Amino acid sequence: MPRGTILVARARAAAPAPTRVARRTAAALLALCAAASAAGSALAQEMPGMPSATAPSPGVLIPRVQARAWFLEGDQTLLEQSVRLEYGLVRDLSISAEIPLYQGFFDPPRPSDGAFGLGDTDLLVELRLLREDLNALDTIRASVFAGAELPTATGGFADATLDPCIGAVFTSISGRHGVDLSARFTFVTGDGLDAPLFLTDLGEDFVNLDAGYGFRIHPERYGEERTAAWYLTAEINSVWTTAGQHEVILAPGLLIEAPTYAIELGVALPLAEDLEGDRGAAPGLDFALLAGVRLLF
Amino acid sequence: MNRILTACALLCVAASTGCRTNASSAATSESTSSSGTDAPRSAPAAVAGPASLPDGRYTLVVHGMSCPKCISNVELQLTRIKGVVRPVIDMQHGFVVIEVEGGTAPTKLAITDAVIDSGFTLVEIRGGGR
Repeated sequence: MPRGTILVARARAAAPAPTRVARRTAAALLALCAAASAAGSALAQEMPGMPSATAPSPGVLIPRVQARAWFLEGDQTLLEQSVRLEYGLVRDLSISAEIPLYQGFFDPPRPSDGAFGLGDTDLLVELRLLREDLNALDTIRASVFAGAELPTATGGFADATLDPCIGAVFTSISGRHGVDLSARFTFVTGDGLDAPLFLTDLGEDFVNLDAGYGFRIHPERYGEERTAAWYLTAEINSVWTTAGQHEVILAPGLLIEAPTYAIELGVALPLAEDLEGDRGAAPGLDFALLAGVRLLF
Repeated sequence: MNRILTACALLCVAASTGCRTNASSAATSESTSSSGTDAPRSAPAAVAGPASLPDGRYTLVVHGMSCPKCISNVELQLTRIKGVVRPVIDMQHGFVVIEVEGGTAPTKLAITDAVIDSGFTLVEIRGGGR
């Protein structure tokens, strides 16, 4: 049994409920920090939890590592870490792969053989259709992308099917304000999971609709000094299946971006959800934490 | 079948949007020198400034650098050009001051390509510092 599981199990036996929640949160925060410190990198002013219409230069490879802790109904804590590798093929055309590094129940009410594994790998080709730089700072960008979720998951974390997807993303930056809009449609070819973890595991086609806003709180104006920019971000992340199930999440966060690194922190809170599927229901979300570290080499 | 039709419809919408975008971007590029995604590799004349850069200091006027990481991208691409050294960037005004040394005389085309490859728009090359 993993060490974290043993610790949490002992705490659960001895402590009242509020203490258990605090211990779950503390343990997950520690795990998030450890996972995020494994480094990684990405590019530009990107919201922590949704795509942006940014792309690497031709011939440039950009890794980005993120870790998330999902606190689900039923006292389940799922921790996942992934790396996103993005490579610029030619000007305005890039390819990316989001590869799961770890997925596991930190506080598992399930058999240990089903507590840890990997999720599906996301492979996308992105074409930037619009880049309109309006002045020194302001810009408008839009991209379309297509790809598939590859069946790399271990049992219990996704079904073994290849699910194609297409989508579009729009980014606008004006002064201290940034807006991202994204839509992605995934065609699910499998039947879903017997014990779904998320709405996307129910076996129905689904669309992700995301909107994000970022406000630069520091500096008020850029200068020649190489200073880090601090942004407050707020995202609405939603998933809608073709059968009517849905989940809408509010995700406020903080993004600290310097010329060579970025740190992103976020919280996800449920706003609305209908998670009942034909083969069962996905557990509802209590809240989630996100941490990421990005480096530009 | 419905799913396939839906996918085809979405792809058509995306493709047609792309065609319109490219067309309007090209028109904008010709009329205002503000390049879009199809900024010209072979027509750097749209960028004001000398055709090649002998040794000295130059200021590039660059649009679209909206975040601190933009600095690193521009620096990375510009310093890949032989002879271009010590770029200093003023994001608020969109100025990138570079020095050219070693008699390599990089062309305006090379500078333009480097800025576009880094994801931004080169508007003008001015001789000397700001």
